[in-house]
Amino acid sequence: MSQISRRQAMAVLGALGLGATAAACAGPGGSTAPGGATGPSAPATGAVTGRVSFAHWRGEDKAVFDELIKRFAAMNDGVEVAQDISTSNDYNAQGLQKVRGAAIGDAFATFRGAQFNNFSEAGIYTELKNSKAVGNYQKGLLTAGQSGDSQLGLPYQVVFPMPMANTDLFDKAGAELAPKDWDAFLGMCEKLAASGVIPISWPGGDVGNGGQLFNCMIANNAPVDDMCAQIEQGKLKCTDDWFIRMLNQYKDLVPYLQPNATGTAVEPAQNLFSQGKAAMLATGSYHIAAVRNLGATFPIELVFPNTSTDGNAKYEGAYNATFILGVNSASKNQAAAAAWIDFLSEPANAGYYANQTAQHVSVKDVEYTNADLKRLSPWLDKKTALAARFQFQNLDVRNAVEASATAVISGTSPEQAAEAAQKIVDERL
Amino acid sequence: MSTHTGTAAKRKAPDSTTEAESKKRRSPTRVNPALYLFPLPAVAIIAVFLVMPTLQAFQYAITDWNGFSAAFNYVGVDNFVRAFTKDSLFTNALTNNLKFVLLVVIAQTLFSLLLALLLTRNSRGNVVLRALFFFPTILSSVSVAFIWKFIYDPNFGLANSALGAIGLDGLQGSYLGNNSQALYWVAVTQVWFHAGQMMVVYIAGLQAIPRELYEAAEMDGANKWQQFKSITWPFVAPATSIVVAYTTVQSFKAFDLILGIAGNPPKGSLDILSTRIYSTFANSEFGYAAAQSIIFMGMIALVTWLQRRLLRLTPKGE
Repeated sequence: MSQISRRQAMAVLGALGLGATAAACAGPGGSTAPGGATGPSAPATGAVTGRVSFAHWRGEDKAVFDELIKRFAAMNDGVEVAQDISTSNDYNAQGLQKVRGAAIGDAFATFRGAQFNNFSEAGIYTELKNSKAVGNYQKGLLTAGQSGDSQLGLPYQVVFPMPMANTDLFDKAGAELAPKDWDAFLGMCEKLAASGVIPISWPGGDVGNGGQLFNCMIANNAPVDDMCAQIEQGKLKCTDDWFIRMLNQYKDLVPYLQPNATGTAVEPAQNLFSQGKAAMLATGSYHIAAVRNLGATFPIELVFPNTSTDGNAKYEGAYNATFILGVNSASKNQAAAAAWIDFLSEPANAGYYANQTAQHVSVKDVEYTNADLKRLSPWLDKKTALAARFQFQNLDVRNAVEASATAVISGTSPEQAAEAAQKIVDERL
Repeated sequence: MSTHTGTAAKRKAPDSTTEAESKKRRSPTRVNPALYLFPLPAVAIIAVFLVMPTLQAFQYAITDWNGFSAAFNYVGVDNFVRAFTKDSLFTNALTNNLKFVLLVVIAQTLFSLLLALLLTRNSRGNVVLRALFFFPTILSSVSVAFIWKFIYDPNFGLANSALGAIGLDGLQGSYLGNNSQALYWVAVTQVWFHAGQMMVVYIAGLQAIPRELYEAAEMDGANKWQQFKSITWPFVAPATSIVVAYTTVQSFKAFDLILGIAGNPPKGSLDILSTRIYSTFANSEFGYAAAQSIIFMGMIALVTWLQRRLLRLTPKGE
């Protein structure tokens, strides 16, 4: 056996190091996005069998999806669907990297807005325009899953990011549930406060949930419907009068929020509401199941903080079409993944999902048997604004703009808060 | 004769080869090549998971790559310039982080030294107390974050409830919701989390000090402070060096604690460098995030080096 000197060994290791350096110097983004120049293609067809990973963030819906998976597997021999669930914040931050190579997420969901756009830009979606599922959806609700002429995703859930109300407490206080303008809304809060309850429980310590109120506050204040996109593009400014007016309305809310609202996380805020200590929970209808699980038995309605000053509001509420289902273009099992999406999109299965999770869906002909959904169904036909905060493509901009509202609630003047937000927007123009 | 000589030479030849071989074997610069295979797995792991990503970070840092597109542009040092001149979120995170490091390093070092001084003796009570103070260290940072998130909750949290129970309602606060205080409350959590671990380092240092030195000092009439100043402190200086360096790196990288306690993304008053880098990655700005990571790496190196230079806690030659 020949022997090598230490110098020779160092040379070999050095060569390995150089090799590693050269490998490291391979440029980023080496692989072309699937779909490429020809645009997305439809999911591959074939036998519905094998393992399908379903990536999403709705941990609270796991049991309901498990039951649907059981039914799906009973219809298709040899198919297995596994849920890969992250928390919503993590999914928002890392979902694309996780799903990109299809190690997980043969079928997946995305949030409306920045995440959906990034997924479509990265070529992760396949084309569902001609899928069996697409015909089951209400046409007007499909836009959130469209990119150009393509129908990349199917927005499954319809949620109302508006304060939920304990109608028992409203009745007791003699407060009206549908204020026509801002003064009426403040009058309603005053009556609730006078009855000895906290009018609004708001999770100001939780950026994601605390920011939902922004959708309501901005809807009737902004001069255009794509106000957040225009703020991001520099066409509108946080220092504009309409934005300052909105921040002043946030300031009006301070006496009606729980003490130290900016330090309240979402769980304690839910507890205040479910225990009947607060009359409203300013998050959205997606928390109905959570507050029911916390023991809330009272009837729940939705209240729109109508910011209109003259009673001529353009919108009567806010909604969001989200949980945008898609089939991964890098998946090795697209046929089964597409079949799973088709299955979820059938009215009977969508109805099961909706009634069990207390969330409306955008699938047509669904029968809502859940008492909360039945009560809130009229909101599906009202003139509601599509949740504005999801227009932001840059999360730093979104957080900065929404943080201006939190700053006002913690005592900063609306003008100062607006300037601070605009500074960050300007830096990212 | 010649035949004999030839035979003798033949007989000698193998001997000389053996000698040369054994010389080779004895040579300090020549080893059995099989030995070089032993570190190879470790070298390969370091190369693949440490060296290559670090080198790649340098390369990404000079691009505007978004993390998923095939296309990107080289932007030179623009990302670095942007971080320091055109990104108040980054400079805010940097300021927060330096403030956090300073707070935690001072408080954690002093607190852990105090605990160690009080619990140096191996009595049964001290051993129990040491275990108690060490206990938070074995918890996961996410658990610690959630425990303290609920302690600080202004509505149902232990902190406000305890203050209310003893009639100090006036001191109740918003804690993490108060932008000017939030960082201090997280620093309290960080110290609670790691002081026990640093206490163990100090106890090891303190127990290595010969008792005779204290006895001699006592005989010379030195009081407790003089004993601490002249004996204890010089002897625990190397331990302090470890504690300070470790706490610095730990405080720079308090990512999971901040994210757990303040949510994702954390609000501006709790944003530190590691969470900012994470937010930038999540915002599909891979090139810029890589530049921020390099600044972060440099910042830790610089602060650690400065500490060693300024504190001079490690004696020369150690």
